[in-house]
Amino acid sequence: MRVFTASFRFQCQLLRRSPGDLSVLVTAPFFSLLFLSMADQAHRSALTPYAVVAPVFMSVWSMSLFVAGDLISRERGTGTLEGLVATPASLSVMVIGRITAAVTVSMLAFAETWLIAWLCFGIVVRVPHPLMLMATLATSALSMAGTASVLAAVFVLVRSARIFQNTLSYPVYLLSGVLVPISALPEWLRPLSKPIFLYWGAALLRDSLSPSDVSSPVGRLLAVTALGAIGFLAGRLLMHQVLRRVRVLGTLGRT
Amino acid sequence: MALRYSLRVVRYSAQNAVADFAATYTWKSWLFGWLGRMLSQVVFFTLAGRLLGSPSLHRERFVGNSVMTCVVEAMMVVASSAWERRAGTLPLLVSSPAGLFEVFFGRSLQWVVSGTATSFVALLALGPFFGVHWAPAAVPVVVVVLLVTSLGSYCFGLFLSVLVLQATQLRNIVSNVSYLAMMTFCGVQVPVGYWPAPIGWVAECIPITHGLRAMNALAAGGRADMVGQQVLEAALCGVFWVLVAAAAFRLLAERGRRDGSIEYSA
Repeated sequence: MRVFTASFRFQCQLLRRSPGDLSVLVTAPFFSLLFLSMADQAHRSALTPYAVVAPVFMSVWSMSLFVAGDLISRERGTGTLEGLVATPASLSVMVIGRITAAVTVSMLAFAETWLIAWLCFGIVVRVPHPLMLMATLATSALSMAGTASVLAAVFVLVRSARIFQNTLSYPVYLLSGVLVPISALPEWLRPLSKPIFLYWGAALLRDSLSPSDVSSPVGRLLAVTALGAIGFLAGRLLMHQVLRRVRVLGTLGRT
Repeated sequence: MALRYSLRVVRYSAQNAVADFAATYTWKSWLFGWLGRMLSQVVFFTLAGRLLGSPSLHRERFVGNSVMTCVVEAMMVVASSAWERRAGTLPLLVSSPAGLFEVFFGRSLQWVVSGTATSFVALLALGPFFGVHWAPAAVPVVVVVLLVTSLGSYCFGLFLSVLVLQATQLRNIVSNVSYLAMMTFCGVQVPVGYWPAPIGWVAECIPITHGLRAMNALAAGGRADMVGQQVLEAALCGVFWVLVAAAAFRLLAERGRRDGSIEYSA
């Protein structure tokens, strides 16, 4: 736990000192403006929850991909990756702590998109289920960190994380239905959506902004949490395997 | 003579761009990684338009998002120009006899070529799924419109890269915000006229606004003079931005020489 909190604090300090790393908080309002303008131009304000929720998950996913790739690249670039691996502290826990910090900060995108809806379009997005909203954001943040830890393990192995970071953005947004329901996808693609925690998280967040009752909330929250936990365990296992491999081959610091 | 010399510098710098691209991508990672990602982006925003937006703009939105992919790539010039400063090579470039603008103009041309190819594949391969079909005679014109749009956007990005060379930590923010602003205000998702008039005036100075109109006219089987006029306007915007960028690079180099603000690392 001490490693986790120290890593969390360290990442917060890093983010405070390098505003460039917070680019998702600058891009989220644009995504929100973009989606809301489409709905407004077509007089479809009933779809506002879709336009508000999508930028949040897009920002948080993008941030977790960025941090998962960048933290390994930076440690490798500064020559500290070998030192980190050699310490008794678990690299997986350190990675999770840092990603959780970045994901938590990027959740501010929700406040930004809410404000854009209000200030630019005069739409006050009501939250009829505030507890569900908080629970969804919290479980999604943890699941995001767990899933991103798998990617961090892969980034230890590969030379350039950038290609993976780029590749895993829009295909995942499409597959998980963060904006467009998966019913718009070909039928053969739809089974791929359910193992992605974003699918459950985005649907829950939309439902928490809708006046009607949220159906089977506990089961769906459990799905988000369970998929995050699976991601975390897979990340730990993969990191262990990858570290063993790079130690044997002596390729840990290879750039 | 001076023009020949400048073109030679651009050519050498473009060779650097090719080497950079080859170091970043293999044909497999470009095809299955980058291209796959960009095609997903086109599908994502087109379907988003189907869900949220006006059904009458469905075809325009597909065309707009496909053309947008070449602009996204062209705007990478902002980040890749900043790499020179981070690598510590900017002072060497400033002190060399070659003009700074020519070097940077050639330095990131890989994005124009790759972006044009990406947009071309999106328009032709995904088009039939969204009701957009191209007559064989229109295909070469599609390439011309994409090249002009991509190159014009690249020139706009070159101007922004001068600003980012002075604050390299903002390279990703500037690159992302500039393409998202174009995507929002230049007629990709909603018509330019939807926004307040001052935003529309600014949008008229951006190459993609005209490139999109040309491509939409072409997709709708519009008259050749309509397409030609918009291509010309996109090209004029590009010329405007290349002149602004050249002046900005000259100022950057002169100021750096005068006050020593271009250090070996940033």
